[in-house]
Amino acid sequence: MPVESAVPLVPAVVDLPFREGYVRSIIFVSLYVSVTAVALSTLFSLPVAMIMGFADFRGKQFVKSIINTGMGFPSVVVGLLVLFTVSNQGPMGALELIFTREAMIMSQFVLATPPITAITLAAITGVNENVRDAAHVLGGTRLDVALVVIKEARYGIATAILAGFGRAISEVGSVLIVGGNIVSSGGISKTRTLTTAIQLEARQGQYDTAMVLGTVLVALVLTVNAIVVRLGDEGAMR
Amino acid sequence: MVRLSNVSHAFDDETIVENLSLSIDPGEVVAIIGPSGVGKTTVLRILALFLEPNGGSITLDGKDVWSISEEQRLRLRRRIGMVFQEASLFDATVERNVEYGLRVRESWRDRLRDELWSVLGSNGTPGAVTEALELVGLSEKVGQEARSLSGGEAQRVSFARALAYEPEYLLLDEPTSDLDPRNTALIEEAVGEARDRGIGIGIATHDMHQAERIADRVAVILGEGVAEVGSAEQVFENPTDERTAKFVSGELVY
Repeated sequence: MPVESAVPLVPAVVDLPFREGYVRSIIFVSLYVSVTAVALSTLFSLPVAMIMGFADFRGKQFVKSIINTGMGFPSVVVGLLVLFTVSNQGPMGALELIFTREAMIMSQFVLATPPITAITLAAITGVNENVRDAAHVLGGTRLDVALVVIKEARYGIATAILAGFGRAISEVGSVLIVGGNIVSSGGISKTRTLTTAIQLEARQGQYDTAMVLGTVLVALVLTVNAIVVRLGDEGAMR
Repeated sequence: MVRLSNVSHAFDDETIVENLSLSIDPGEVVAIIGPSGVGKTTVLRILALFLEPNGGSITLDGKDVWSISEEQRLRLRRRIGMVFQEASLFDATVERNVEYGLRVRESWRDRLRDELWSVLGSNGTPGAVTEALELVGLSEKVGQEARSLSGGEAQRVSFARALAYEPEYLLLDEPTSDLDPRNTALIEEAVGEARDRGIGIGIATHDMHQAERIADRVAVILGEGVAEVGSAEQVFENPTDERTAKFVSGELVY
């Protein structure tokens, strides 16, 4: 996706102390990394939550406690673990992922998965058991029953995905460690995200730029939260 | 014929159903009566092939349903319908609820095609859905959200949902226990029509008057086994079992 565009980010009459290509590339990297990580996390979390919600197995409580612990796991520690994994001496060192967007996606995947799994699990287990049973006695297969449950829990699942996205996009510690906050010689972000850019700009005294980036980030997070609240309301009304 | 032979079932070491034998033929209504907590719901769930009993056997047209593959059992299970005490409708329109049983019996290709047409708004209401809703007097509610219905309407939709795919046997778990007299009468009328179509019906109820009104046979469960089974007249007027006599006269026997 091109990061430079013919459409200006802000009207030409407004004189802002940064280059639009720089900011656009940062927004793009932030969204690319967070959306990809959350999409992968959802693909992983949904079946895990379904298994946790439907099946009884040894160690289920242990897995639940791991998920709950993961919700509060410090992001810098996650970044450190991913850094060890992708570093030259790490198990994935041969893939040369260090200071790449892919490494950032890995760390955000680890951060987003616990909340997505936990909230999805709560939504799935909150579906009335009689509704599950009805799908079964009406001739549904296990897959049919699972699809009914997902449909019934759709507002909760959407909330889970958005909560995961909120955590990923506003996270700073781990992406700084594994991404390196790199910008190309042309001033285009390679691994710099909104959060890491704000941290850097503020440290360098570029408060105007930091404020603009902060405003964009807050706008994104507020939008996501507004959608979460709206979905929560719709789910509660049903 | 669906038949239970010496069936027993326990939950967490607590015996719920013990050594029970019972059968339902096509085109008859069998009322299962007994006090609360005696295991009527469990018996229906076992009859619906929803619950595997701990002991005994269940056969459908002579085939032992728990000694065959899951795929074969699914085919048998799809010949049976069940309505729970609570309506348990899906978060969708009345039409989508009633057509569910039809949909799951289609191939995935047909289901995807129907879903697509449904999204495009060009899918007509299936005839079986209209017919089932007409039977319970709710054809005008076809496009309404199911969860906005009253309790009585929801239970009638639940009944229509189980009838739409034309099961050979239908199991009703106290379907009128929370309903007003009008909705109760409508359900009972629909039960009669379903029987006339040749559907074998098992209905669990604690309402002895209802059993008397709609059942061809009444099975009384008062703990171990079936205490007495026979025509409504025989069970209520001339019970041969002493405990049944006490139960139908209102004495506490369980």
